Amino acid sequence: MVTQSDTETVQVEIFPFRILTPETAQRLLSEIYRNGGIIRIMIQGPNMPRFVTYGPAKGMPIDANNQGLMELGDQAFELKVKVGRVRLELESEKYLDGVRAACERALPFTFQIKKGKFFHDRMTVTDYAKYGKDVEDRRILGLIDPKAKKDKLAILSEKEVTTDNEER
Amino acid sequence: MAYTAQFYPGSTSVGINRRKQMSGNLEKLRDIPEADIVAILGHRTPGADYSSTHPPLKEMGEPDCPIRQIVAPTPGAAAGDRVRYNQFADSMYFAPSTPYWRSYWAAINCRGCDPGTLSGRQIIEARERDLDALTKVQMDSEVTDMALCSMRGCTVHGHSLRLEENGMMFDMLSRTEMGKDGNIYYVKDQVGIPLDKKINVGKPMSEAEAKKRTTIFRFDGVAIGGKVGARKYDEAVEALHHMWTLRTQWGYRPE
Repeated sequence: MVTQSDTETVQVEIFPFRILTPETAQRLLSEIYRNGGIIRIMIQGPNMPRFVTYGPAKGMPIDANNQGLMELGDQAFELKVKVGRVRLELESEKYLDGVRAACERALPFTFQIKKGKFFHDRMTVTDYAKYGKDVEDRRILGLIDPKAKKDKLAILSEKEVTTDNEER
Repeated sequence: MAYTAQFYPGSTSVGINRRKQMSGNLEKLRDIPEADIVAILGHRTPGADYSSTHPPLKEMGEPDCPIRQIVAPTPGAAAGDRVRYNQFADSMYFAPSTPYWRSYWAAINCRGCDPGTLSGRQIIEARERDLDALTKVQMDSEVTDMALCSMRGCTVHGHSLRLEENGMMFDMLSRTEMGKDGNIYYVKDQVGIPLDKKINVGKPMSEAEAKKRTTIFRFDGVAIGGKVGARKYDEAVEALHHMWTLRTQWGYRPE
């Protein structure tokens, strides 16, 4: 069972004015992770296919898109997008200044941090079709795009997330 | 009556640049070898023969036609070349040209070509040797900045995205890269097939230079109305209003 926080969570979106290289993205995510208080992280940006998907060069490898191995906490995952925005859910407001400072350290150019509502927490029809009625860890809702395969989700917490273990 | 075509109204830097591009009076900024341009286009191996769809016109025996007597064929049409294409994507972050202006330039200045305008890319179809020549003009001149514009036959995504950290437009297929020497290199042709050697196409424009040469009106650059807060709009807006009135009230019959 996942422990529920008794403080109100805060959702923020970090919007850099440039698309990040894997190195900068790694630096930014590490800084944010070090700041603590994270419930969920979502990274979004244009796709980096490993192979040319259509046209005369279909099937040819794109080596430049193959350099995105990220390390966060004690987990490693493959970066499949060029990071254009990062959405966070924080345990409470007190972590917000730390996130801003982390961005200032990691990003060498302008960025915006917006506070708002970025993750949905009620189950959509697609979520229902994908996960069924009972989702034990509701953090999974609103975290990945409905068409995404399961491997787009990296579990960084030691806390149990049952949904990913199920075969669907 | 003899007159000089104005092409585009207004006294803003964008208006002046639009006039320059439409008139074909382009500034040459670099000289990329023809063989390199042929390699980037990717339609044939540099030095190979042009493929053809019909015999040369001289051998075909054309019908007796007054229009054919007036209009001289382009070199590509005369030789019977196959129709090929180039396609450019231009970033909305102050790229020197935009899809519309590439099309205006081609339609006004290049004979026998078929320009097609889309939201974030622009394609020109022409006989192959005509296409080689007009692509060289585009690549060599101020309509192209190597960081903010690139030749993309497919997977053109990038026009409306934020720039990458090094100031280049995003490219999903990584056709271009910035070298350690600050030059831009094409490593793939326009459809993403790796080239035998990297092609150096020179240094990109600085941000200030791109803003100076752009044909894009932007609120954070040059506004279409001219100087913000001025008592009078720039002539570009007046002309636009005038044309809009004529079009909506009179079906664009300016008599």
